[in-house]
Amino acid sequence: MLRESSKRNGSLDSLNLQGAVGPEADSGVPHGDLLTAFAEAAVRRTDALPGLRERIAAELGVQELVDAAGVVANFQRMVRIADGCGIPLDELTRDATDDVRDELGLHEYASAANTA
Amino acid sequence: MAFEYAGIDLPIREKTIASQRMSWEMIARPGRWWTGAERVEIARIGRAARELEAVGSELLPEAAVYAIQKLVVDNANLNREFYAEVVAAEGMTEDRYVELVAVVVHSLSIDEFHRALGIEPEPLPEPIAGEPSRQRPALAEQRDSWPPLVPRQGLNRGDDVFYGPLEWGANVISALSLVPENVRWLHDLSEGHYLSFAEMRQPDPLRAISRPQIELIASRVSALNECFY
Repeated sequence: MLRESSKRNGSLDSLNLQGAVGPEADSGVPHGDLLTAFAEAAVRRTDALPGLRERIAAELGVQELVDAAGVVANFQRMVRIADGCGIPLDELTRDATDDVRDELGLHEYASAANTA
Repeated sequence: MAFEYAGIDLPIREKTIASQRMSWEMIARPGRWWTGAERVEIARIGRAARELEAVGSELLPEAAVYAIQKLVVDNANLNREFYAEVVAAEGMTEDRYVELVAVVVHSLSIDEFHRALGIEPEPLPEPIAGEPSRQRPALAEQRDSWPPLVPRQGLNRGDDVFYGPLEWGANVISALSLVPENVRWLHDLSEGHYLSFAEMRQPDPLRAISRPQIELIASRVSALNECFY
């Protein structure tokens, strides 16, 4: 979805997918470092969360902060549906993303076993 | 009324509030396989698990409590053996498991929204009295995921739209369809927190952050949870 949405927005050339899975690389998405730090602090429940909240509100805006929180909340749900039901990747997604998943090391996840 | 957000100086969207209120009502009502009191208890155990409190329950089977705690805190390590063990345990079935997962993940999602924004968790709803309907959809079929799924013809009236043109829907959309009410619930809370299924196919602007920013956050949350899907 990230790759597809960047393609649609005309920003695919600047996208670095490594930045989506870890903090070591810059994703190339505007304010991506701040938004992913916020997501990480929310999921891991670290002390950095209040400060990151303030930074997003100040640098992006309060509606942006609320919408970012919504995305975190949604995917905390979706990952548990996927892994709680052992669903495999949809065929089209599997074929279109196999190379990227390999590159990002996603095949190492235990839940990769649900996709033959 | 729940989710008033009184004294909260943040622009919470109306669709977010509506979907959260609907979720609380869903949790409070008897489902197909659990009473309202049991469903609220499922949410309570899940909430405690996220605080790393392994509380017990006088209402739920032991295997249900175990499944809730695994779903909340050890979701990266769920596997087919876990599922088989839980659904075979006393007081559990595939149907009860699917309904339990739905209550756990939807209540957890709302709690996570609040926590991310520094808002106190909403008090859990008062259970609504009544018995579960105990109706298994006639068209349920075992496919590639662990629990059986329901095809579009087996969904509740008007909900087939959520499967798009597909007989079995996208895998994550049909994952909880053994209890068909879950399909609409999945969609409506998705619309409230993220995007509706229709919006997912539309171009920016959809929210205050761009679609690549939305999907970057989604990707990082998925990676932190080691979710392959």
